[in-house]
Amino acid sequence: MAAVKQTIEHVEALEKYQHGFSTDIAQDFAPKGLNADIVRFISAKKNEPEWMLAWRLDAFERWLAMDEPEWAKVHFPRIDYQDSYYYAAPSEKKGPKSLDEVDPEILAVYEKLGISLKEQAVLAGVEGAPRYAVDAVFDSVSVVTTFKKELAQVGVIFCSMSEAIREHPELVKQYLGSVVPVSDNYYACLNAAVFSDGSFVYVPPGVRCPMELSTYFRINAENSGQFERTLIIADKGAYVSYLEGCTAPMRDENQLHAAVVELVLMDDAEIKYSTVQNWYPGDPVTGKGGIYNFVTKRADCRGDRSKVSWTQVETGSAITWKYPSCVLRGEGSVGEFYSIAITNGRQQADTGTKMIHLGANTRSRVISKGISAGKSSNTYRGLVSAHPKAKGARNFTQCDSLLIGKTCAAHTVPYIEARNGSCVFEHEATTTKLSEDQLFYAMQRGLSQEEAVQLLVNGFVKDVLQELPMEFAVEAQKLVAISLEGSVG
Amino acid sequence: MSLSAALRSGDVSLLPGKRDEDWKWTDLRGLLRVLPATAPALDLSGLTQGPFDALADQRQVVAGGHESVSIDVPADSKLAVALRVLSRDGGALSGKVAIRVGAGAKLRLLESYEGDASAYVTDTALSIVLGAGAAVERVVLAADGAEGVNVSQAQVTLAPGAEYGQTVITNGARRQRIETQVTHPGANAKLRLDGLYLLEEKRHADLTTVVLHQGVDGATDQFTRGVVRDQSRGIFQGRIVVEEGADRTDARMRHNALILSDKAEIDAKPELLIFADDVQCAHGNTIGALDEEALFYMRQRGLPETEARALLIEAFVGAVADRIGFEPVRDIARAWAAERLRG
Repeated sequence: MAAVKQTIEHVEALEKYQHGFSTDIAQDFAPKGLNADIVRFISAKKNEPEWMLAWRLDAFERWLAMDEPEWAKVHFPRIDYQDSYYYAAPSEKKGPKSLDEVDPEILAVYEKLGISLKEQAVLAGVEGAPRYAVDAVFDSVSVVTTFKKELAQVGVIFCSMSEAIREHPELVKQYLGSVVPVSDNYYACLNAAVFSDGSFVYVPPGVRCPMELSTYFRINAENSGQFERTLIIADKGAYVSYLEGCTAPMRDENQLHAAVVELVLMDDAEIKYSTVQNWYPGDPVTGKGGIYNFVTKRADCRGDRSKVSWTQVETGSAITWKYPSCVLRGEGSVGEFYSIAITNGRQQADTGTKMIHLGANTRSRVISKGISAGKSSNTYRGLVSAHPKAKGARNFTQCDSLLIGKTCAAHTVPYIEARNGSCVFEHEATTTKLSEDQLFYAMQRGLSQEEAVQLLVNGFVKDVLQELPMEFAVEAQKLVAISLEGSVG
Repeated sequence: MSLSAALRSGDVSLLPGKRDEDWKWTDLRGLLRVLPATAPALDLSGLTQGPFDALADQRQVVAGGHESVSIDVPADSKLAVALRVLSRDGGALSGKVAIRVGAGAKLRLLESYEGDASAYVTDTALSIVLGAGAAVERVVLAADGAEGVNVSQAQVTLAPGAEYGQTVITNGARRQRIETQVTHPGANAKLRLDGLYLLEEKRHADLTTVVLHQGVDGATDQFTRGVVRDQSRGIFQGRIVVEEGADRTDARMRHNALILSDKAEIDAKPELLIFADDVQCAHGNTIGALDEEALFYMRQRGLPETEARALLIEAFVGAVADRIGFEPVRDIARAWAAERLRG
């Protein structure tokens, strides 16, 4: 009950985008625009080895030859790639050695976001309290990684991508771009050329990562694109749960965000990847100023019996264009996708998943809940395919859409390709509005209309919320309520 | 991009291909490097009976020399038409059929595509316009040859209170597409769109439908089933669009397919595009092999395996034929399907 009450109070207290503040910190910018020199600049800024620069330049060259894709059900003015900053690092005096050296204003930002970076604070907490290791990406650069020592004891490497390039080049060389090839798609290719930072995780064989790993992305600088690159490798029998949270301040210009996330799973490995995305959705009336979120996320289940689980709560961004995918190569590997996508105001979301069954007895499950309100548009787009060798492949897909209001749109565009005689694919989808009867019942019991809608929506998305790690689930539930504020009545 | 435009101009670059989203699974551009010459005129006097001739008041033929047909059904009258599209001798055929059904009239349209063993290319464009309260039942039996290419595209426009029922039964061709686009005004108009494909060897069949709900109180019920074996490929693309303001629309779409061989393929894209909030829309899609438990149960009761399999497939397929309203047509459809299944 306390959580519900808290949720209601929270919603009442909020009138607009909660994280819409912008912090003035001295920034170190690359000049505006995009060319080979900018790519060199980024690489040099990060003290990267020669092979990395060559990799970036190759990507940039390929990107120049590519066309921007237009097939998604989203509309936006053409992006001027020359009118953006591709690198913005919070200026710092030679890399922070400890938290004390980190700009206090940055820490204040995180405090506002409600995440605790200070490991002492967490360590001093109640015994048995949940612990996270956090890698915070501020604009383009990973600011600090906590709990590193403790993780190192069990052999887990958790650091920023730039650090990994310097300190674990053999791992990076082996795996970077092996799941999402450089020229996979337009935005992934752009990312390969100009990616600034991100998180790197390696979990050695047989190790169960002792804590949840977490990254917090925040886009701060005006007109700066954020291009993180995340690479997680779970070796044989390893397990890791990774949380990703994203926020951005309120800005007038649209900000581009094109991230790439690659997951590699060996035999019997398991990765649980959870995202709560709460980027600024733009002005609810004009749709001006939100984030463009064009992300490529893919997991490669190379090993037998490996398992990957994507859970996402997408409530922000002006445009979301993202399809976390699973390549189920290993025999008996499992892919899961749980998604809540909420659009309100002028938001547009085109999101879903790809389950590519290549190995025998691979299984996948897709649960997608889309909610559209205001003048928004919400599309589920997904692919389930079985290769002739994927004997006994099994998929279950359920995508439900809920419409609130007369002017919103909800679409379902599934692709199903079955190429052998022993696969079993099931797909079901429904689109409905909020039930008048249920609303009436809830309101008759004394709930206001807004509370009643929240209650019903929470019930609608329950299947997905259950998949989130506990602490995230509470936050996500609040977020769901906040996103739908003002959509009824 | 269409086959008819390519046939008219002789320009193969106008053919739809893999890179056209709506044709990605039915690639004509990659298949046809040259277009055949126009089919020679057909002498109708020596024509054999079509599958539905006995049930029709009027017989119409689309073939070389008879490329366009128009059928008018006066208001408040009743008519049964057997429409045959004949493809033969490796020729190209681009046919046009215009059908108007007056207010309150009833039409039974019994359509058959009959192709010989040659590598023909046939394109048929149908336009079917229903007046207020009119009723049409269209049954399409597509019996193409294994080397033929056949594309049939129907544009159906419903008026308020109209009722349109359709069943397409096909055993495919080298490439075959049977497409139906319906403009649905809502206003208590009712739509039933069914399909059944039974494919073997290297045959290909593509059943595509687009339903555009434009007004309040419309109903659509779609049911497609398919069985593929050998190296055949079945495709189902269904799209239901509910436009802004088309409230109280009730649209349902089901597609179930059986894959009976490891080299066969099923591709499905059941789409819902919804721009109104007071709607009930659902789609279901299943693809799989025969239920092993059901087979086991039947064998346990003493049925030989082959018979048990045949019985299960027959029951699976029969559900579509059962929805045909007119019994004699239902019987023809069932018999035709049973013959294909035995093979």
